[in-house]
Amino acid sequence: MKYVIIGNSYSGLSCADAIRRFDKTGEITIISDEPYKAYARPLISYYLEGKTTDETIWYKDDDYYEKNNYKTLLGKKVISVDTAGKKVVLDDNTSIEYDKLFIGPGGAPFVPPIEGFNPDSPMMGTFTKYDDAKKMERGAKLAKHKEAIVIGGGLIGLKASEGLRALDMHVTIAELLPRVLGLALDEISGNITAKKLNENGIDTATNDTVVKINIDEAGNPKSVIMKSGRELVADIVIVAIGVRPNVGFLEGSGITIDRGIIVDKTMMTNIKDVYAGGDAIVSYDILNKKPNIIAIVPLACEQGRVAGTNMAGIHREYYGGMGLNSVEIYGLPIVTIGLTNPNDPSQTVFIHQEGETIYRKLVYDGEVLVGAILLGDIAGSGILSAIIRQGVKCLKYKDEFLKGNIYSFVIDSEFEVYNINEGYAIRGDFEDLPQFSRSNWR
Amino acid sequence: MKKNMESIKLTNLEEDLKKNQIEIMLYPSKCDGCEGQEYKSCVKACETHMKEKYGKYSTARINIKSKGNKFFPILCHNCDEAPCVDACMPGARYRDIENGWTLTNYKKCVGCWMCVMVCPFGAIERIGEDHYASKCDGCIDENTPKCVEACKKGALKRIGIKNYAYERRLMVANKLYGPRLTINYDKYKK
Repeated sequence: MKYVIIGNSYSGLSCADAIRRFDKTGEITIISDEPYKAYARPLISYYLEGKTTDETIWYKDDDYYEKNNYKTLLGKKVISVDTAGKKVVLDDNTSIEYDKLFIGPGGAPFVPPIEGFNPDSPMMGTFTKYDDAKKMERGAKLAKHKEAIVIGGGLIGLKASEGLRALDMHVTIAELLPRVLGLALDEISGNITAKKLNENGIDTATNDTVVKINIDEAGNPKSVIMKSGRELVADIVIVAIGVRPNVGFLEGSGITIDRGIIVDKTMMTNIKDVYAGGDAIVSYDILNKKPNIIAIVPLACEQGRVAGTNMAGIHREYYGGMGLNSVEIYGLPIVTIGLTNPNDPSQTVFIHQEGETIYRKLVYDGEVLVGAILLGDIAGSGILSAIIRQGVKCLKYKDEFLKGNIYSFVIDSEFEVYNINEGYAIRGDFEDLPQFSRSNWR
Repeated sequence: MKKNMESIKLTNLEEDLKKNQIEIMLYPSKCDGCEGQEYKSCVKACETHMKEKYGKYSTARINIKSKGNKFFPILCHNCDEAPCVDACMPGARYRDIENGWTLTNYKKCVGCWMCVMVCPFGAIERIGEDHYASKCDGCIDENTPKCVEACKKGALKRIGIKNYAYERRLMVANKLYGPRLTINYDKYKK
């Protein structure tokens, strides 16, 4: 059996591992357009900060590919997929035949039309790849005024600013929404985060964006004109508006694409033997109860694993995921889970705030917890994410959760919590459990 | 009941342990949070051992959480398809195929707290200002995990997978059928 995997990152490798678990002899080829072996892509900002280095940024061990007998084609771009002839065409005009194909191309940075933006300049670019981080590292050394502009105050933008700040640049984030991390955070937590950023030398220009980049003769940025009319000096400009599924090369392949690749429960696309996973697919959002693109690492790995298992011939279904994210900004940990900004009036919100160090927000839909923000103290956030994922009725615990005693839920009803997912070990004695039913015991 | 369980060995603990299928079993009802002591024995023992083993990554891997007079030891459940391995961005957490434990390469860990966010048991915590997420490694290179050794109350127990399954079945049976379940164990003895 010939397996071909497009994408050498979280979902692709997780898929390869799942195939190898059930098929020890099949030929697995991993194709990536980057010349590196798999690296921890979200950590490129940590690379600028020096928290991870050229030695520790690699996602897997050095002998990972040989040990698992994976063939690699690194630095080769896939230009098209011929699903009728079952082959993948590369940019050097060679083609590779497959029996089963996995597509995990991830996301490509989205760049809106901004006057003066020139991605070839060493001082301008996006921030999603290892090469981008290296480029910024070089760019920061060339900067005369030590001023940087980051367009977009999402996760990538924040991380890029943190990285640039570590290179001794003064950073301004231009964000169109009224706060940083606007989609995940609410007003209070957004303000706390912004204050933390400001204290550490990162300015936030919210409700504002860059309309024009003034460039010099060499094509490098001099200054930017903001929507509000201000002109800011800029040596480095990073566009970090967001990512879109990187599915351009699938045009004409017959694979259904609606924003992202459409897959079924087994992660197969509309074409037989072609599977997909990761940031480029539309998967089921269990909280919004509709298909959605959720571009986070845990889901990419899960989807890759489900796809790989099915590719190896063992039926397995994916039940969907939910958005959740964790970020630490200058010592302030933030975890956001599920629906954090409800616009449905039937959903109730509970808030607990202790100055500017601790903030907790819970969103309930009836008795069911559907979203949470934990800022400052994130102990037990995993228990909350499990509760949200499961749809457990837990309104009576809201005061305990707000106070931060999330573990009290486990202590009171360890049994329910311990039944979270298939394959989890269930341990503990059941002598003093409040209730016990045959139906929830496996 | 307990005496009977000890007298009849349906599975071989020694054999179980040789296969490295060691689990740490919890008996929360027996934990009293080391009342009256300055420190919790298991936490202290874990900290000391981790300092020897990992140097600066020395925070305790076990924690006792309490609510009222109830205590509950929180530690890693060593999930088969662990969410913390899926969520780990730097690839620091991995599953060791040889011994079956989910382990951590602390050199790679940057403290992004993704694993804290996904662990459904709350077994991984951010402690202090340190930027690494410590997690129980089951004391795989020791005969008995240090927390088990330290616990004087019998709330933690070292057990192989077969024995664990057997004990659990007995517990469930006990729970379902209660004291009405009577087995004449003498019948099985020679």
